[in-house]
Amino acid sequence: MRTPKSPALTRRALLVSATLAAPLLAAGPAGAAANVAESFVDDNIHKGLDILRDKKLNLTQRRDQFETLLLGLVDVRRIALFTLGQYRRTAPPEDVEAFVNAFKNYATAAYQSYFSKYTNQNLKVTGSTQRTPTDFIVQTLLVDPNSSQPPAEVDFRVRTDAGKPVLVDVAYQGIWLSLEQRDQFVAFLGQNNGNVRTLIAHLSELAVNLAKPT
Amino acid sequence: MAGIRGLIVGLCALVLAGCATAPASPEALAANDPYEQTNRDMLKFNAKIDKYFVIPTVGLYFVLVPEGGRRSVHNFLGNLSLPTIFVNDMLQGEVSRAGKSMWRLVINSTYGLGGFFDPAAKIGIPGHGEDFGQTLAVWGVKEGPYLVLPFFGPSNPRDATGLVVDTAIDPTNQIHIKQHLWWAAGREYFTLLDLRAQTYQTVQGIQRNSVDYYSSLRNFYRQFRNEQIRNGHNQTQDLPDF
Repeated sequence: MRTPKSPALTRRALLVSATLAAPLLAAGPAGAAANVAESFVDDNIHKGLDILRDKKLNLTQRRDQFETLLLGLVDVRRIALFTLGQYRRTAPPEDVEAFVNAFKNYATAAYQSYFSKYTNQNLKVTGSTQRTPTDFIVQTLLVDPNSSQPPAEVDFRVRTDAGKPVLVDVAYQGIWLSLEQRDQFVAFLGQNNGNVRTLIAHLSELAVNLAKPT
Repeated sequence: MAGIRGLIVGLCALVLAGCATAPASPEALAANDPYEQTNRDMLKFNAKIDKYFVIPTVGLYFVLVPEGGRRSVHNFLGNLSLPTIFVNDMLQGEVSRAGKSMWRLVINSTYGLGGFFDPAAKIGIPGHGEDFGQTLAVWGVKEGPYLVLPFFGPSNPRDATGLVVDTAIDPTNQIHIKQHLWWAAGREYFTLLDLRAQTYQTVQGIQRNSVDYYSSLRNFYRQFRNEQIRNGHNQTQDLPDF
């Protein structure tokens, strides 16, 4: 025979259960999202380094494969618009679109140039920090097995608000690349009467030079 | 040596005062760089010194001194800085880090043969940097406008003051030997050589990737100093939203 519980007892039981479960419920999705961000970085950065390490690929194949991987991982449009700073609002829309395309080519060449320096090193994900429910900083260490120097700290900023994780910034030893690019572009535009087309021409030239083997 | 550095900082202040009448662009003001044009000129001057005097010597240094020797020079110079680092650790209330600096000084000066080797790092006491510019920042002093100092490069009034104070409190500058000037000049020269040898490829990479090398360097310096002041503790909440 079931003993009917008093309403007060049931409420208390519910309250206790809810209190106990709250941290789990709160930590569950956030923890899972953090794991998604960490796995995203872990898997894809290794893929990128593998492409740059692959000696069987010629220069064009390596560049094409790296570009395909990068454009699938990085929200280039979001970064490009951020780096334009205040000029994003004042530049003609067609110039902004042309800039996004020029930035894509520049970013591909620049990222390839950055990462190709670290092909002999190993990247190890050490944890992550959640800024907002859809904004994560994934911390990694870049370990050089042939060096006595301490490993370098490399952080990746991952956004998950578009339904899938995307990379929006990288920091080497605490220096964020997009912040540095925004400062450069805004300074350049300031010296060129805010003419985005001049910046596009300069970026295109730079992308060609960066793609050349050193 | 403190006199030489003080003179350079003073000269820089005079140059800036002379150029302060030039109106700053909105971008320069937004970047906390009201003396941008003077700073750009100073960067060009430093680049010439670098190109004609420093880089050729760095090339020779690489050819004549093997990697192990260069590492020993780096260790020795780092060991000489440890008393200053210890004082700044203490002034910042970082007692644990101060203890590490003291242990490093004792271990490396003895077992490390005067600091040429770094056995402390091998037993789990790695080095860290601190300077009086960072101490001032920890005490709440604002950085002030961005400056490019002759010979020393990117800085600001807070860090330039720190440079002078660090030189003044450095115990090796208190030892008055007959050849003190030569010792101080030699130490400064090898510090520059060591720094340039270590950063040669990085600087080349920045120059190659930059749309505007000057503003790139300015941003790198600011972010790097903030990272040093935080002792590597991430402050991700301060990042801008995309």
